[in-house]
Amino acid sequence: MPEERSIIRAVIVDDEELARSVLCEFLAAHPDVEIAATCANGFEAVKAVTELKPDLLFLDVQMPKLDGFEVLELIGSEVAVIFVTAFDEFALKAFEVHAVDYLLKPFSAERLTEALERVRGRLALRERLPIRAVVSTARPHEGPAERILVRDGPRVHVVAVDKLDYVQAQDDYVCLYTEGKKLLKEQTLAELELLLDPGRFVRIHRSFILNVERLTRVEPYGKDSRIAILRDGTRLPVSRSGYARLGELL
Amino acid sequence: MNPILARSDRLALYLGGWVITGGLLASALARPWGLAWGPALVLLVPLSVVYGFVCLSAWYVCRATPLRTSGALAVLVNIGGAAIVASAFWLLLGHALARLAGQIPQLANAAGLYARSSLLLFTVGILLYLLATAVHYVMIAVEESRAAETRALELQLLAREAELKTLRAQIDPHFLFNCLHSISALTGTDPAAARRMCLLLGEFLRTSVKLGAQDRIPFSDELALAERYLEIERVRFGPRLAVERAIEDGAGNCAVPALLLQPLVENAVTHGIAHLVDGGTVRLEARREGAGLQVTIENRCDPDRPKRPRTGVGLQNVRKRLAAQYGNTASFQVSETGGQFRVELTVPWEEGTGR
Repeated sequence: MPEERSIIRAVIVDDEELARSVLCEFLAAHPDVEIAATCANGFEAVKAVTELKPDLLFLDVQMPKLDGFEVLELIGSEVAVIFVTAFDEFALKAFEVHAVDYLLKPFSAERLTEALERVRGRLALRERLPIRAVVSTARPHEGPAERILVRDGPRVHVVAVDKLDYVQAQDDYVCLYTEGKKLLKEQTLAELELLLDPGRFVRIHRSFILNVERLTRVEPYGKDSRIAILRDGTRLPVSRSGYARLGELL
Repeated sequence: MNPILARSDRLALYLGGWVITGGLLASALARPWGLAWGPALVLLVPLSVVYGFVCLSAWYVCRATPLRTSGALAVLVNIGGAAIVASAFWLLLGHALARLAGQIPQLANAAGLYARSSLLLFTVGILLYLLATAVHYVMIAVEESRAAETRALELQLLAREAELKTLRAQIDPHFLFNCLHSISALTGTDPAAARRMCLLLGEFLRTSVKLGAQDRIPFSDELALAERYLEIERVRFGPRLAVERAIEDGAGNCAVPALLLQPLVENAVTHGIAHLVDGGTVRLEARREGAGLQVTIENRCDPDRPKRPRTGVGLQNVRKRLAAQYGNTASFQVSETGGQFRVELTVPWEEGTGR
């Protein structure tokens, strides 16, 4: 079989310089792998993936601001990933269960070669990672989300949930309203509802989740429906079952 | 509480003994009293059981007169006195009971019979009380040895747990693997630095194992270990990790529990600096403050860092160890304001063998 290998463009993401340098050193022995960029944190990684469109990401798990799994949730569908970690019980379980490629620090050049071989196979088959499943195994339920990450092209917005006013469903997206801004995230309203604290957020309508701290009053509207009025004057529709849920909470 | 009253099975066994005693008394007295078996039992079994309850008071006498520490005279006086009082009380109760039993035709002259045998019953009462006292002494000895055994086991368990915890604190696997990875990286680019890192790590591990085996160490040793740890982390984090110190002269002479400072410094790095893109400074401060040593560890932190369930375990361990060793004479405060994390602790000043 003739070896016909296309160039793999890789991005290295690790907050430790020495960890980045050892990957660069080992990759020098693989002429078909080109290092497109090295990043010291998750924000840089999202930017690099957006702008450079690499084929492969070497992704450290423990990093400031955004950890490896948060980066995966934001950009994982666009690029093959080899995780790199020193020690993380849950992450290792996720890698094993979902056959994710990973390297354990310290790793050998041979181990890297093996991982690259597998990635070549996956790239050829255009195999995709089951991102949601990997993340939920690696980060078992830790209570309601404290923050929501939204990718806006090369930028990442970190929205603290207490700064969130309400969320509106828009097809396969949700529109987050926070501090006078509107942010669009690729997620369904039902998925987001599961992540939010049910003691603070209520699905008041098929298309709306409300932060109850923002509510001033609910007024009747028409024959069979109601309308919620928020502190800033925003008016949102309340369905009958939404009104019941709201009543339960208040 | 009396160990006999504490458990119903013991109480049943004990009262059963008294029913038998009553039966024996009845068999002994039925003939001289000229009574049939039945009436004798009706009179003497309740009397015996009532005395059983009176004899439970022997427990207080036994507690007040421990055999190991009391003189022979005290034992004689206390137990003898209690036996006389109890038996006299029993006699009075017996008279009342006999008069009551007089209502039954077959026992019409019970009170008279009882009065005739007073001296005999009084003597039997004293003997029975002495027997009850002996039973109580045995029970107390058994309970004590069982409690001592439990206590010894509990202490053993606590010691084992503490040992495990310090071991875990000494060698955080994450730290160790990252160090090895740094060494691996340096081997290719800067062999001299790789060797230096090996030596630092070796020294750090050796010292922490050595110090962990000791109870109290001079604060200067603790400080030296923390410095070594920080030096290793500075290889990993590079310019992201800066260290500032303000250690008062002489502060190193105070004796402190081993491995007190190191977990706090580690916490400052792994939960503080490691979460900052641009890094920050860990500031160590120590000085004598009145009759105590005050230590402060301060670092910048990211207020929005993800809070994992294991966060804060290291701090909790230090807090528990301080409470276990010093009670409320030590203090431990953790605060976080505006991206600045601060741990402040005070331990009573004890002059250590400063080196």
